[in-house]
Amino acid sequence: MPSTTLTNSPLFSWLLGYEAKRKQLLNKAPAGALRDFLSVPMPSMATPIDKVAILAVDFETTGLNAKQDKLLSVGFITLRQQQMSLKTSYHQIIKTKAQLEESNVIIHHITDSQKEQGQALATVVEALLKALAGKVMLVHFARIEKQFLTEACHHIYGMAPIFPMIDTLALAKRRLDKRDVAYDPSELRLANLRHKMQLPEHHGHNALNDAIATAELFMAQMSKANKDGKITLKDVLL
Amino acid sequence: MDTELSEISTFIRSIPPFDSLPKQVLAHLVRELTINYVRKDDYLPPKGINEPRLYILRKGAISCRSADGELVSRLSEGDLCDAFYHTETNALSNSQTATASQLQVHTDEDCLIYSVEATVLQNIGERFPSISDYFSQNSAQRLKNKMTQVNEEAILSSTLMNTAVSNFYQSPVASINADQTIQQAAMQMNEEGYSCLVVVEDDNPVGIVTDKDIRRRCVATGLVTSAAISEIMTRDMCTIDAKSNAYDALMMMTAKHIHHLPVTKNDELVGMVTVTDLINNEGHNAINLSSIIHKANNLTELKEISQLLPKLQIRLAKLGSSADHVGKSISAITMAFTKRLIEMAEYKYGQAPVPYAWLAAGSQARQEQLAHSDQDNAIIICNSMKPYDDAWFESLATFVCDGLAECGFIYCPGDIMATNPKWRQPQKIWQNYFTDWVETPSPKALLNSCVFFDLETIYGDASLLNKVRKQLLIKTQNSTLFIAHLTKNALNLRPPLGFFRDFVLKQNGKHRATLDLKHNGIAPVVDLARIYALSEGISAVNTIERIQQAAGTPSLTRGSAENLIDAYEFLGMLRVEHQAKELMRGESADNYLSPKEISKLEREHLKDAFKVIKSLQDARQSSY
Repeated sequence: MPSTTLTNSPLFSWLLGYEAKRKQLLNKAPAGALRDFLSVPMPSMATPIDKVAILAVDFETTGLNAKQDKLLSVGFITLRQQQMSLKTSYHQIIKTKAQLEESNVIIHHITDSQKEQGQALATVVEALLKALAGKVMLVHFARIEKQFLTEACHHIYGMAPIFPMIDTLALAKRRLDKRDVAYDPSELRLANLRHKMQLPEHHGHNALNDAIATAELFMAQMSKANKDGKITLKDVLL
Repeated sequence: MDTELSEISTFIRSIPPFDSLPKQVLAHLVRELTINYVRKDDYLPPKGINEPRLYILRKGAISCRSADGELVSRLSEGDLCDAFYHTETNALSNSQTATASQLQVHTDEDCLIYSVEATVLQNIGERFPSISDYFSQNSAQRLKNKMTQVNEEAILSSTLMNTAVSNFYQSPVASINADQTIQQAAMQMNEEGYSCLVVVEDDNPVGIVTDKDIRRRCVATGLVTSAAISEIMTRDMCTIDAKSNAYDALMMMTAKHIHHLPVTKNDELVGMVTVTDLINNEGHNAINLSSIIHKANNLTELKEISQLLPKLQIRLAKLGSSADHVGKSISAITMAFTKRLIEMAEYKYGQAPVPYAWLAAGSQARQEQLAHSDQDNAIIICNSMKPYDDAWFESLATFVCDGLAECGFIYCPGDIMATNPKWRQPQKIWQNYFTDWVETPSPKALLNSCVFFDLETIYGDASLLNKVRKQLLIKTQNSTLFIAHLTKNALNLRPPLGFFRDFVLKQNGKHRATLDLKHNGIAPVVDLARIYALSEGISAVNTIERIQQAAGTPSLTRGSAENLIDAYEFLGMLRVEHQAKELMRGESADNYLSPKEISKLEREHLKDAFKVIKSLQDARQSSY
């Protein structure tokens, strides 16, 4: 039995809540990718952030509304101990029936013919869940990935998992808010934050490039904030 | 195709030697990369990496220090760090890498670093030798390959080198029968507009006759013009095969002092090629200029000709001539100017009272001059001179030095000129000078006099200098103290450590916007070559010749000599190209190269050249 003080700590109750929810969902999940994903425990909230296995993820979509819009492509890469190997990177275009809207085609450079070579949504989500098991998802602007993945899982499995996330935009925003000085929201864009951190020029809108760019930004953020190495997973979780 | 990793691919492709890889191989290499973020004031390799890897700096700055703390290099975006490429695997077999493995690599800023396992590059290198060559070689070897390539390009790009004589000759060739008279030959020349006829007997060419022959061998000697042309023709004429290249034809004509060369095909006469034909093609040419200088009647004409000098330098650089060739050509022309001025002075002031020689010092003596550098000269006079004879030599010196200045060769800022009485002395005084410098050397005196250890006779009695030099070399070979002082002075000029971002990193760590090619690169090699020559008793003054002759002596191994020549030629080539650009813009030529002027690959070679020079300087330093 855990001691009273630990049981009362917010950290413990959060973890308890999260782990409890995971186990609850695991019982309901159909056999397959989702069940496999849910069967792997979360890293402990007290793990120093440098030791946490992270999956940097980016989605390209046809719009911002997960109910109406479609996932176009998924890119991800594993980040472990301030290091990522491009061998662990993944990029896949998704085959959908939705007509591509012209404006988005321009942004994402994905044309209809390219999309035809894509894979089924279920295949791509399965690959993502497999890679994500036991890791924390890292994104820039969590809403898109959170809602679109939830929606896709509902569609495929009839239920959605929960997954902890780190959001580089939220981390940057927290810092800016703390300063109590007005700022332009555009400062929070991935490219602008990278520029401020003196990271190389980045031209976005390819899921894997963006995932790598997000991971690099996160490493730079941690380099600045985590000089003494005391930051734990809990401190950066969304 | 991995278009999703396009940003990383683009970056990697911009870095030599990866720029030579085909797309698929590059894509494979990119997928093998690892990305690390290393904080400021940390060390490479990143924690958790033990295997040999090549590191590629994507962002930030790192410095590499040797075990004793000396800064070896600083690297920035796009630089490769191979300090951990060879570790463990072959540290024992290669002494170069053994020292590299002791390097301490420190991050001076937060760094984004890509890396790839050595084994991956080794596998790629099996199919693409450019990769394995790059990483298996040390800097000296890389530079050698570069210079071999440059020399090949120089040969290929010279138009005369890759054009056959058949493109230049005039055909049919004007000929005349051997029994025709001199007058008939002169008439035929007038009618047909030729200055040269081939003389034939039964359709076989037996000789050649030019308008000059008519003047020299007929008119001037009082031979009747009704004499047979065979009386004045040149027998044993040189010919050249039509398949030979035009450059060989030019060389043959220069060597034999002839202007016309019959061309044969299968031993049959098919045409005639003239110096003018070739020179028109080659533009302002050294041979051409020398001959006009020789014909100049007064200073005004010389001055006009001197304005062609920058054009000649541009032309030579454009033709891809090596720095050695450019230096020799320009020096030959300066020599022609000097000689012509001396002839004019002798005409003006009468013959010299006693034998003497006009000497060139420094770059002109070494035949390494570029357009309009400053004049360094001196006069050595026969010991039989009387004090009152000096007036004549003073007039000569003033006339020649002023004349050279008019022609764009500025007065020597250090007053090392024949107009300075100190440097216009009889042989015995020169002997005393050298004895003093060698036997009781002081670093400061040597700094000012080292230019006199590169001395060459331009005009007059060469034996005067040769005798002094012979005794000098015997002394220098045995004077450790002298060589030590000379070495100490020479080591004041050190090559920079390399490039950092767009700046050249100097020894003291301060940034400068440009690289002084002369003082940071070329002069240190010239100094080293002088030291080798004086310690080994080598009489040559040209830097490359000195190094070649010193190769294999206790001063310099053959391998080091080759490396040093490669480094010297590469730096010289950069200087020639840099000055050609300036001269084309109508600016005066200098030695300050902006790193932006040169390609990334050239920067790598430049770093290699610096390393070669530095290691030989270090070797010299440690021997005293």
